[in-house]
Parts: sequence; structure tokens; C-alpha cells
Amino acid sequence: MTLLSGLIFTIGLGLLLIVVIKSLIFEQVLTGGIGSIILEQAPNDVGTANIVSSVLLAYRGLDTLGELTVLFVAATAVGLVLGQPRPDAPRDPDAGFILRSAADLLFPFMIILGAYIILHGHLTPGGGFQGGAILAAAFFIPILASPSSPLNHKVSSLVEGLAGSAFILIGLLALFDKGYFLAPLLGTGEVGELFSAGSLPLLYLAVGLKVGAELAGLLARLHETEV
Amino acid sequence: MNAIWLVILPILGAFLLPLVYRQNTRVGTWIGPFILGLSLILAFGLWGDIAANGVQTILMGGFPAPVGIVFYVDHLALLFVIMLVLGTLVLWLGKEKGNIQEETLLLLIVAGGSGLVLSGDLFNIYVFYEIVAVASYGLAASRGSYAASLRFLILGALGSSLLLLGIALIYAITGTLNLAHLATHPEILQGTVGLTAFALILIGLGVKAELFPVNTWVPEVYTTASARISALLGGLISKMALLVILRLLVLLYDTSAAHLLLLTLGVLGVITGELAAMRATHLRQVLAYSSIGQLGLVAIAFSIPGPAGIIAGIALALHHALVKPALFMLTKAWGKQLSHLAGASQSLLTTILFLVLALSLIGIPPLPGFWAKFLLLKGALATNIAAYQMVITVVLIATVIETIYFMRIVRVMFNTKPPPIKAPALQELVPALVFVTLLFISVLNLGTIGKSLEIVATSAADKSIYMNFLPL
Repeated sequence: MTLLSGLIFTIGLGLLLIVVIKSLIFEQVLTGGIGSIILEQAPNDVGTANIVSSVLLAYRGLDTLGELTVLFVAATAVGLVLGQPRPDAPRDPDAGFILRSAADLLFPFMIILGAYIILHGHLTPGGGFQGGAILAAAFFIPILASPSSPLNHKVSSLVEGLAGSAFILIGLLALFDKGYFLAPLLGTGEVGELFSAGSLPLLYLAVGLKVGAELAGLLARLHETEV
Repeated sequence: MNAIWLVILPILGAFLLPLVYRQNTRVGTWIGPFILGLSLILAFGLWGDIAANGVQTILMGGFPAPVGIVFYVDHLALLFVIMLVLGTLVLWLGKEKGNIQEETLLLLIVAGGSGLVLSGDLFNIYVFYEIVAVASYGLAASRGSYAASLRFLILGALGSSLLLLGIALIYAITGTLNLAHLATHPEILQGTVGLTAFALILIGLGVKAELFPVNTWVPEVYTTASARISALLGGLISKMALLVILRLLVLLYDTSAAHLLLLTLGVLGVITGELAAMRATHLRQVLAYSSIGQLGLVAIAFSIPGPAGIIAGIALALHHALVKPALFMLTKAWGKQLSHLAGASQSLLTTILFLVLALSLIGIPPLPGFWAKFLLLKGALATNIAAYQMVITVVLIATVIETIYFMRIVRVMFNTKPPPIKAPALQELVPALVFVTLLFISVLNLGTIGKSLEIVATSAADKSIYMNFLPL
């Protein structure tokens, strides 16, 4: 009964919210917001073919560092809740020959795809977060295929810590060089080239490595405490 | 000196903490206090800088104001940063060493809280709020209280999404996220859409600020989490969210509708919190409900228009930030049913500490709690608005109820019939002692503190100072 009344209350609250939002009148809209300014300036200021990346890494680079930190906080909190895996816990047996071979075959291709998406983040849709997720999957599939060979947590947390610090260090270099934290460095280059947009690809590389190592470590930790 | 260090240093420390711990545990245990100490020195340096040269704005990435992210560093924001960093540093004293994940989360929650009060950009505020929120879910679960933490997570996630929805509404009608830029067109936000956005943001930030409808997690989490975490969340982090609400109120929503909404939530928080505290049977629960009541008082103070309300709000917030963490630290050995406290007066030091803190929280004259409540009454009387005059009654009734439940606890403590309970270890009392020392120092310097608070509040209440930094 309590459950039912709680459910009805929640549904009512949700409906109320929808009605409130739906009945709003959007009339007085301020024109000339920051969106149009960015569309106009981004190619010259930052030099990325993909405008979204220029927003993510240049105009709102601090937000990206913040999101990176949110992911790190969440991973740390999950680690705190899960605790340490027991070394004597029984493990699942390895999968069959077909699955293991397929996992081995997939591994290099997924690494290449992930690296491609990270390195072309300033040119095409994609970037550090998306590429990092693919990298993490590349390292997690072999664990699913053969659970007895676990991920090396030392390496993954080393990569994670260093990549995160690299993002901040690039920002601090800009602080010492230009006086602004996370200001784009190294000029813009020619728009559309692989080596362009200054320090932005380096930032994306740091994001990709950190996200990849973080998610891989997190999935492996979940897998280890499950058994 | 650049205020970005206040946010970057703890994040960098948190990223590297696990690596350092693996190399050398002894160095690892010192990283947290070292970084917090460094931040504190930086913050004091910045305070002097601003006193000499005026308010600073810091552009991220060198992009000018409405397009890029801006940090707005004034005395009010720095005061709250110093409060957070100093409080966390004191709570670090006597902490058991070597819990890497907890120390990482503590550093990150400090980084998030500092960013929250310094940032001058709505979406950036959301990002830092998210860091604070996720870190507090993790910290709340650090002693195995998973059920309470999970319920906290669900409520907090709902709050965060409503906050994001509110920010999205503001962006939809104005096309900008910069607070100073928004402050130049206040009339747009005072329509229905703008006020809806404010209500959503208020509910979202209210989860951390323990505002009335979304504070159900408070008693449960503070009872089950460790004393230090309850002290941190209730005493320090909650004020960061309230400061953001104050900023929005001053800069964007200088209308009576928004002020009255915050006032109503504050009054309801005071009434429900204090009444619930009277019925509570667990010492931690009493403190948790009393914290809801006290934060309601701060919300009431912030809802008073003009500098008088801001002074009262800062005074109440600072006082609560000293007293409530200290009280939580005393409960470490006493964290049981109230009836178990019988004979607790055997340990003299603890009893004196508890008495001083409780009397200050109630507002007995020589202690700073009286001064803070007096400022609130003075500010409310000066407004000449009927709603605020009524508030005085609420505050006085709340004070009476506070007296009743604290004195009831004291009576149980002096009851010597049953065998006396174990006194808390001295190591646990160190943070409480430091907080009480700070409290006494503030009693002696009440005049100076009052004057400097007045300067801080007057500059914070003047939105033209904030808008002057917009190169439009």
C-alpha cells in the first residue's frame, strides 16, 4: 500500500512537472546569444574543423576537466563501495576457443578504432570520451573471454593518473605562457589538417587515455568483485 | 596570484594520490593535508590581494566573458572557500590514515565546493555541483551504510537533473550562461519561464543545501555515515550550495517572488527541522534535524533583500560551520540512543565542550550564536515587509524549541544513576577542540569580524560591481 501510494505520488509529481514545462511561453527570447558568436569565431580562434570540439576543449575546457573529474569521482566512489577483491575467490572458467580467438582478433582493431576517433576528435565527430570508451571495451573483451587472466590494475591506474595530470599540466603551461588556464597553445595550423588546432589534440589524447583506463579499470573491478 | 589554483591543486592531488600511495605510503598520507594547507595559504594571499586591488575576474582559456568561462573572485566567495578548506583541514586531524579512496574524495569535494562558489557561469556551476554531489554519495557510503547512501543518490540525482533543467530553461530564453551577462537583462528572467527555472534550480541546489522539501536524506545519512563525513556535509558543503542560491538571487532574481519563495522554504525548513529534532531519540538525529533548522535560518537570512540579510546569512553560516562539525565530532563515542548518554557528564572536558556548543547554537548572549541570530532579527525588522516581520516569531519559537531539546540532552547527561558510559578518546576530540577555540577567538573579535562582514556583504549585494567586469 505504501509502495502504491508512493508510486502514485511520483507519477503525479512527474505529470505536474511536464504540465508546468509544457505550459511555459517562450516569447521574450534574447537574440545574439553566445552560440552564434562561437559559430562565427571558432574556426579562426581555435582552428578546429569540428566546432563541437572547439567548444568542449577551448571555450569550455574547464567544464571538460570538470566532467573528467566527475567520472573520476564516480569511479573512486564505486571503488570505495566495492572494496578489494578477494584473491582466493573462484573464477569463471575460460570461454571456448572461438570466443577467445575472436577476442584476440578484435583487440588490435578496436585499439586502432579508438585511437583514430581520439586523434581525429578535432576534425570529425567523436573525440576523447567516445574513443576512450572504445579503448576500454578493447581491454574488457579479453577479460570476458578469459576471466582467469585479469587486467593489470597497476598499469591502468598509472595511465589514468598520468593522463589526468597531463590535461591539467597542459592547462598550467598555458597559464604560465599566456596567463590563462587552458588557453589554446601552439597556434591554430591549417583547419582540417591532422596536425592543427594547436594543443587541442593533445588535450583530447589525455582525455581519451584517462577515460579508457578509468572505464577499463572500473569494469574489471566490477567483474572481479562479482565472482 | 590566480584563483584557479584553488580548484586545480586539489584535483591534481586527487589524480596523483593513488600513484603516490603505491610508491610510498608515508608520503601519501601527507599529500592531503599539504594540499589543503597550500590552498589555505593561497586563499589568504588572494584575500589580501582583493583587499588591496579590488575584485578579480579570471578568464578561462583567455576567451572574454560571455563566450568563455569566468571565475569571479570576491571576498564573499573567498570567505566560503577558506571556511571549506580550513574546516576540512581541521576535520583531517586525528583521522585514521591510509584510506586512499576516502582521502581522494575529500580532496575532490573541496575542489568542487571551491569551484562552485568561485564560478561565474551557470553550466560550470552545474559541473562543480555534480563533482560535490557524486563525491558526497561516495563519502556517505564509506562506512558501509549503503541503503542510506543509495536513497541519497536517488534524491540527489533527481535534484541534479532538475538543476540542469532549470539552467537549460535559462539558456533557452537568453542564449547565455554567464551570470554577469544575464544580470544585464534581468527583465527577461522575471517572466514565467525565468521563475520556473529559478524554482527548479532552487530544488536542485536545495538537495545539498538541505532545503525543505528535498532534505529527507539528511537524518538517515548523518546517522549512518562516519562523524567526520556528517560534519563535512552538514557543516560545510551545505553552505556552498546556499551561496550559489544567494548569488542567483542577487544577480538574476532581484524580485519579491523569488525572495518570498526562498523565504517560504526557509521557514518551513526551520519549523519542520526543529519540531522533528524535538521528537528524535538518537543524538545524531537530533543534530541532523537541528542542522536542517539552522540552514533554514540561513535561507531566511539570504532571502532578505539588501546587505543586511547577507551579513546575517554569512554570520549564521560561519557560526553553524564552527559549531555543528564540533558537535558531530563529540558524537563519535556517544552515537547512540539519547538514553545511553546517562552519566556522560563523568568526562569533564567533553561535557564542557558540549555545553558551550549547545548554548552557542541556541543563542545565549556572550557566545557568537546570539550575535548571528540577533543580526537575522535586526535584518528582518529593517525590511518593513509584513512577511519578514512574521519571521521573527518563527525564529524566536525555534530558539525556544532548540533550548528544550538541548537542555533535555544535558539533563540526561547529568543523570548519574546508571553506570557511566565510556568517554570519547582525546584523539576524537581534537577537531572539536580546534573548532571551539576558533569559536572563542571569534567571541573576542566580534567587533572586527562584524565590520569586515559588513564590507564583504555590501560589495556582494552590489551587482554593478559584478557587471563592470563584462567587456561588452
